[in-house]
This record gives sequence, C-alpha cells and structure tokens, in this order.
Amino acid sequence: MQLLTHKSTLVGLVALLLAVILLPMFAGALWVKVLTSAAIFALAASGVSLVYAQLGLINLAQIALIGIGGWIALRLNYGTALPVTLIVLGSGILTGLIGALFALPALRMRGLYLALVTLMVAALFQIMFNAFQFPNGGEGFWGVAQKSAASIRRPAFAETDEAYFRYVLIALGLSFALIGLHKAGRPGRAWAMTRQSEANAMAAGINVTFYKLWAFALSGLLAGIAGALLAGALGQLDARSFLAGEGILLFALAVVGGAFSWLGAVFAGLLYKLLPALFNDWGLSADIALIIFGGALMHAIMTAPHGIAGQILGAFNKEKSDD
Amino acid sequence: MIEIQDITVKFGGVVALDQVTLKIADDVVGLIGPNGAGKTTLTNAFSGFVNVANGSITVNGTNLIDLAPHLRTRWGLARSFQKVQIVPDLSVEDHLKAVLDGKGIPASQRKGAVSKALEYVGISDIRFRKGSTLNPYQRRMTEIAKCLIGAPRIVLLDEPGGGLSESEMQHLREVITGIHPEFGAQVLLVDHDVDLIRDVCASTAVLDFGKLIAFGQTDEVLADEVVKTAYLGR
Ligand SMILES: Nc1ncnc2c1ncn2[C@@H]1O[C@H](COP(=O)(O)OP(=O)(O)OP(=O)(O)O)[C@@H](O)[C@H]1O
Ligand SMILES: [Mg+2]
Repeated sequence: MQLLTHKSTLVGLVALLLAVILLPMFAGALWVKVLTSAAIFALAASGVSLVYAQLGLINLAQIALIGIGGWIALRLNYGTALPVTLIVLGSGILTGLIGALFALPALRMRGLYLALVTLMVAALFQIMFNAFQFPNGGEGFWGVAQKSAASIRRPAFAETDEAYFRYVLIALGLSFALIGLHKAGRPGRAWAMTRQSEANAMAAGINVTFYKLWAFALSGLLAGIAGALLAGALGQLDARSFLAGEGILLFALAVVGGAFSWLGAVFAGLLYKLLPALFNDWGLSADIALIIFGGALMHAIMTAPHGIAGQILGAFNKEKSDD
Repeated sequence: MIEIQDITVKFGGVVALDQVTLKIADDVVGLIGPNGAGKTTLTNAFSGFVNVANGSITVNGTNLIDLAPHLRTRWGLARSFQKVQIVPDLSVEDHLKAVLDGKGIPASQRKGAVSKALEYVGISDIRFRKGSTLNPYQRRMTEIAKCLIGAPRIVLLDEPGGGLSESEMQHLREVITGIHPEFGAQVLLVDHDVDLIRDVCASTAVLDFGKLIAFGQTDEVLADEVVKTAYLGR
C-alpha cells in the first residue's frame, strides 16, 4: 500500500495511461514504430539498471539476452500455436534462466572483471546469432529458410502497429511494477543489505548468492520479454542488431538515463532508439547520437550519478524535502 | 554454553587466532585485548567471514563452523560490527525486516517483533527514518535492535560503545544487561572500555597476539598482572 501511494508510482501510472491513450493517436506511422522500439529497449534497460542500481554489478550482455528472447519467441511463434502473450512470457522466463545460468560462475567476481565476463558472453552469442541466424519460418530446429520469410503472429487484439504499441507500453508498465514490487519487498531489502557489504548481508541471514542470481534472472526475464516483443514488432530479427558492442551502449545509456528509477529506463530507451531516428529525420548522421551519448556519459559519471532521471526527480523533490 | 575449541585463523604469515579454546557459560561475557589482538577475528570466525584453519565453535551441540554464514544467522547467531553497517537508503524498520525475512517469521508476528526490538533499545520514534539520517547513537541502536529480532541465541557485540557519549553509554549498559533476561540470548561483548566490561560482564577473556592469555571472573581477570602488562598498563 505504501508502494501504491508513492509519488513516483502515481506519476508513472498517469504517464503510462496518457502514453497508451494519446501517443498512438498523435504519432505518425513511422514514429509509432520508433517509439515501440524505444519502449522495448526501455524495458530491457530497466533490467540492466536494476542489477546496477541494486547491486552495483555491470551487465553488458543485455542486448545478447534480448537476442535470445527474440530467438525463443520466433521459434515458438513459428513452431507452436501458443497464444502470443504466453510466448512472450515463456521467452522471458527461459531467458531469465539462461541469464542466471551464465551469471552463476561470474558471481564471485566484481566490478570490471564481472563486466568483462558479461562482455565475453555477449560476444559468444554474437557469434552464435551470426552462425545460426534467427528463425524465419524455415524447417528444422534452427528454422531458417533461404528466402521468403513467413510472417509471425501478433496478439489478435494487437494486430495493427498502434495496437501493438499499446500492448508494448502495457508490458513496459507491468515490468516496472514488477521491479517496484521487488524493490519494496524482500529482494529489495536483501539487495540493499548486500550493497552495504556482503558481510552485513550474511550477518542478516541473507543468502547473498541467491539474491544476486535472482537479480540476474529478473534482468534476463525483462531482456527476454523485450526480445519477444521486438520480434513481434519487427516481424523478423537480424543477427546484426545484437552485436556485443550494443550491450555496452545500452548499459551506458541506462546510466545516463538514471539507473535508480523507472524514468531513467524510459530515457535510456528514448536515447537508444528515438534520438538516432530523429537525427535521421533531420537529415543528420545518426552517428552524431553516439557523440552525444559519449558526452552524456561523461556528464553522468562526473556530475550526475543518478542520471537524467535523478536530475529531474531531484528538481521536483527540492520543493518538498521533508522526507 | 558456547564451546570454542582450538580455533586458529591465519592471514598469510599473521596468526590472528592461535588455538583459542574457551568455554563460555555466563550470560554476558567480555572479550578484551589490545589493538590487533584478534577480537574482531574471533567474531568473524563465529560468523564464518574468515577461513578457520582448525577447530570448532559448538553451541548446544551445533558446530557453527559447519554452517554457511547466512544459515548461522538463521540458526540464531546475531552480531554487530565494529564499523557500523547501516544502509543509507533503507529505513530502520526495513533493516530489521531484512533480518526477519531469512528467519521465516510468520507475517502476523513481524510487526510486533519489530516494535519489541525497537522499543527495547529505545528508538521506536525513528522507525521509519532512513539510514542516512541517523546519528551515530541511533545507528548503534539500530544495529543492536537488528541483533535482537527473530529469537537470537548468541549476540556478538563488537565495540558497541565506540563514539557514544557518557549518558548514551549508560543506556548501552542497561541495554546489554537486559538482553539475556529479555531475549534469552548469550552475549559476547568486545570492547576497549574496561569500565563497561566491569559493569556488565560476569566473566572476561583476554586476547593478546591471537593467544588467550586470561579467562575468568571479570574482577580477577582485570587484576591479573599478565593482563595488566599486556593491556591495561599500556
Ligand atoms: N581480513 C584480514 N586480512 C589480513 N589480516 C587481517 C584481516 N583481519 C584481521 N587481520 C589481522 O589480524 C590481526 C587481528 O585483527 P583483529 O581485527 O581481529 O584485531 P582486534 O583485536 O579486533 O583489534 P581492534 O581492537 O583494533 O579492533 C591483526 O594483525 C590484523 O591486521
Ligand atoms: Mg576489532
């Protein structure tokens, strides 16, 4: 109940409602597509942020996990008649398990070393995606046909791009709610105690390994859901979208946006997908976005550790600083 | 009854604890010794934070060394840290709830358990305050409350008096003496403050360079010549 009356939750709910109702009405066909992608990557970024903000751990493999979620979703979409929403959830859960599995050996490491291991994992998946490609309706386990990709199903109630955008936004809102529930409950307390020090957490009876794995699994779940949603948004996936380097970029943008609140993940998604599209639209090179990202990252590291979201929320909270 | 048998802890060449053997039966037992004597290392051996080369710590038939650190806490080992561990963005209540989480206390009893511990140490008024807003005394008391929640069997306090004023020390004395009657836990108190030790500990052990050099009734130990040279007569 404390969670529901929390200001950030209320603002989030209102923003979600407005976005779901208004955005598809006023954004043109192109921008609906762009914003759908931005929302999907915001969803994935929220997982990166969670692991970073709660435990200080750096996960550079999120884009690779999105690829895995997308692969599983495509496979199930072509290979089964399951309802699409069930496929999205299943892809999320399987990807979460895979994420936790890969995190397991890495948990004894910290800081830069853990980051490097996640980068290696991302590189490994980049190679796999390249070698096996994504299912496009072909035969066999890998499901890759030489030409003529069969189309995949979207939920019956979200066939059009506008409706699918709403579907994605609702998934985004539910994901933020899931994270919020975790932060306010038992996992959030366990993560906070661990953040202070592992000895402190163990002395409080917390199974540190379990809760670290749980964070990675949750982050993987969100990546998997994002991947499945992306597959539905684009109709097919391309190995070139899941390069290891993109994982570094997504992490950097999650920090720039602000890893400590849902708003930061929204900024990360917008920076990752909307900004380059805007530059394209204005006839500028999308590479300019990269330069801006670099500058913003320096800014975040040096002066705004809580990112853009932190600065905005900070400005709001200044007026009323009684808590 | 806590039985510490032949506990040895080494850090590279440093022997932080050298075959320490000790039987603790009193409700509140003191542990003193000069800086670097191995007092914190002994509490860390209880908690499982250091590799114990040899030996056992048995409490009513349970050898703590066999349990993973977090399971020791769930079993009933509680401790405070020399360097207070308070999470800046967690409320006082959440600090206690985090301990309850692992202990499987039914939801219906949680609120009452938190209230009881906070009331006992006298900080009910800051229940919802964030860790970052607490003063050093409130931090200490929060840490002690954390030790008392969820039916502890043993409470290890590592220099809980550090940085407290005279009146706060008086309150700390009462808090420590009341732990056994109120919560049923045995207390091992590490401190440099001889007055505090004398006031609250029935018996006291003295460590020096990782070796147990004295153990017995507190006044006798404090009057011991060896102890005086090693520790008191610095
Ligand atoms: N993690 C560690 N790694 C290496 N050496 C350690 C470690 N912890 C303690 N030591 C060493 O072990 C010895 C005992 O240290 P310990 O902290 O137990 O002393 P103490 O009696 O608690 O001292 P103080 O009164 O200063 O708190 C010291 O020589 C210390 O340097
Ligand atoms: Mg010490």
